[in-house]
Amino acid sequence: MKIAVASGKGGAGKTSIAAALAASIGPSCVMADCDVDAANAAIALGSTVRERRDYSAGLSFFIDPESCVGCGKCEEACRFEAIRTLPGTQKREIAGELCERCGACFDRCPAGAVKTEDKVAGELFVSDTRIGPSLVHAELVPGEDTSGKLVYQVRVRADSLAGESRHIVVDAPPGIGCPVIASLSGIDLVLIVVEASVSGIQDAKRLIELVAKMKRGSIAIINKAGLDAGMDERARSMLAEAGIAIVGEIPFDPSLRSAEESGATWIAVEGEAGDKARHAIAALRRAMNEGGEQ
Amino acid sequence: MSSSGQAVIAVASGKGGTGKTTVAAHLALAASLCKSSILVDLDVEAPDVLGYFPQATRAGAGEPVLVRVPRVNQSICTGCGLCAKLCRFGAIVALRDTVTIGQDICKGCGRCVSACPAGALYEESVEVGATAAFKAALDSSGRAIGIVEGRSAIGDIRTTAVIEAAKRRSRELARQDGAELVVRDCPPGISCPATHAIEGADFVILVAEPTEFSVHDLDAALRYIAASGLSAGVVVNKDGFGSADIDAVCARYRIPIIARIAFDRGRAASGAAGRLWDDDPAAMAEMEKMLAAALGADRAGGRA
Repeated sequence: MKIAVASGKGGAGKTSIAAALAASIGPSCVMADCDVDAANAAIALGSTVRERRDYSAGLSFFIDPESCVGCGKCEEACRFEAIRTLPGTQKREIAGELCERCGACFDRCPAGAVKTEDKVAGELFVSDTRIGPSLVHAELVPGEDTSGKLVYQVRVRADSLAGESRHIVVDAPPGIGCPVIASLSGIDLVLIVVEASVSGIQDAKRLIELVAKMKRGSIAIINKAGLDAGMDERARSMLAEAGIAIVGEIPFDPSLRSAEESGATWIAVEGEAGDKARHAIAALRRAMNEGGEQ
Repeated sequence: MSSSGQAVIAVASGKGGTGKTTVAAHLALAASLCKSSILVDLDVEAPDVLGYFPQATRAGAGEPVLVRVPRVNQSICTGCGLCAKLCRFGAIVALRDTVTIGQDICKGCGRCVSACPAGALYEESVEVGATAAFKAALDSSGRAIGIVEGRSAIGDIRTTAVIEAAKRRSRELARQDGAELVVRDCPPGISCPATHAIEGADFVILVAEPTEFSVHDLDAALRYIAASGLSAGVVVNKDGFGSADIDAVCARYRIPIIARIAFDRGRAASGAAGRLWDDDPAAMAEMEKMLAAALGADRAGGRA
């Protein structure tokens, strides 16, 4: 089964919960960290890299200042306001942070001054973890704009590693945009982590709409419960209204945080918060087994 | 200060959930005591700024964000396939003389339309999101914050178009209101949504928490900031919540820590419920410090 852990909001507890699930399944699990902007599963699972390769995002464009004649045709062609004039000249440059790499400027330049280069935009890794599951993860070069494509690469590598027999746990990025859509495509079940807060609930609602649009099954877990009773209740009723089953509620508890610092996942934590995490993960695995038999 | 006369502060982070929206909202609140300010929600996939301002009322119409995408006039199309060859987004497939365009994947660059030798492509606008403007009254004296929100359409991947539209609208509203400050609440991460949201800012505030996850992601964000030469400062939020070393990573990139907000369960509970910390003088003092650091760097000529 392929299960993805997503939340809409950042910091809702996706990675911690995905790591706890992966640890509970053990070596018959491949975890795919698709939050390539902020890849933390390797920290959560305590991992050692066993395979790495460069990731190329495809061509990017730049203007050779020597060849630029300053005609401004590139600026006319660009719909993303990504062409700037170099101070004190008529020559242009491409603002990498705004460029969509479409190549419209390349076609229009009469001087052949728009050049292409194929840069390394990140790295893809397969790692062994202390806890058992294999981990596929990646690091995007900061500022590179192709995280959706890199997510796809992580998914493909995880699929080939898992084969037919192993479970895949996908740790999705925050938001509901391109890299999230790439993380959820072809997934059997989406675990929606709802942070019991105004923003956590709002963002989960948008994610639920996306999941419905993509026709994926979903189930939910409420995290950081107990900070505000009204918010806990609001999270429950929002999920009830959406018709999504809740596998458990995990309290906001510093003991979970400190367990992570010593390298443990939430299912290995002593005390009430750990008990709730264990119960939630056990209920989730029952639901996965039922879903898997269908 | 930017050429438009407004100082622009972008509040960003690598990791999500470290407190960007909280810091951005409180910065605008702190600034409102002495200057008129606009708060703009650029986390268009998960816009949460309004959660802190339930009293906000609409100020102006919602505006759709439109992207022009191509359509094929099949009676003119010769099926040469040049459009498919040029498209960098894989949005066009030319198969056996028939061209099909994936409207959802197209970024609307127009390259195929200009290049088509038969003139068989024309464009129609599709809505990829919306922007809206609000006013949030802060007290009975007329003190208020202008708010602009960008919101992507569910399932649409063209979030950067919505971010750029919200940036433009925040600039317009600031001009219209004579606002001196624009505070941007940016999306998490270090890829295109974040870089678009940061672009054009005079000062970047990176919000981090003392956890291993956050420090790892802050490192990546600082690498980007350092390479782009932007002025920036780091805010330690939830100070004391974990023991990861934020100071060391900041020292490595020579980016100063400009404020520290101590972890406190009451603050966390307020944040969860969307209550501002306006009755929390210690937290508000840290916001003042951030504001002074950000605007001080701005006055000093900006880019380090």
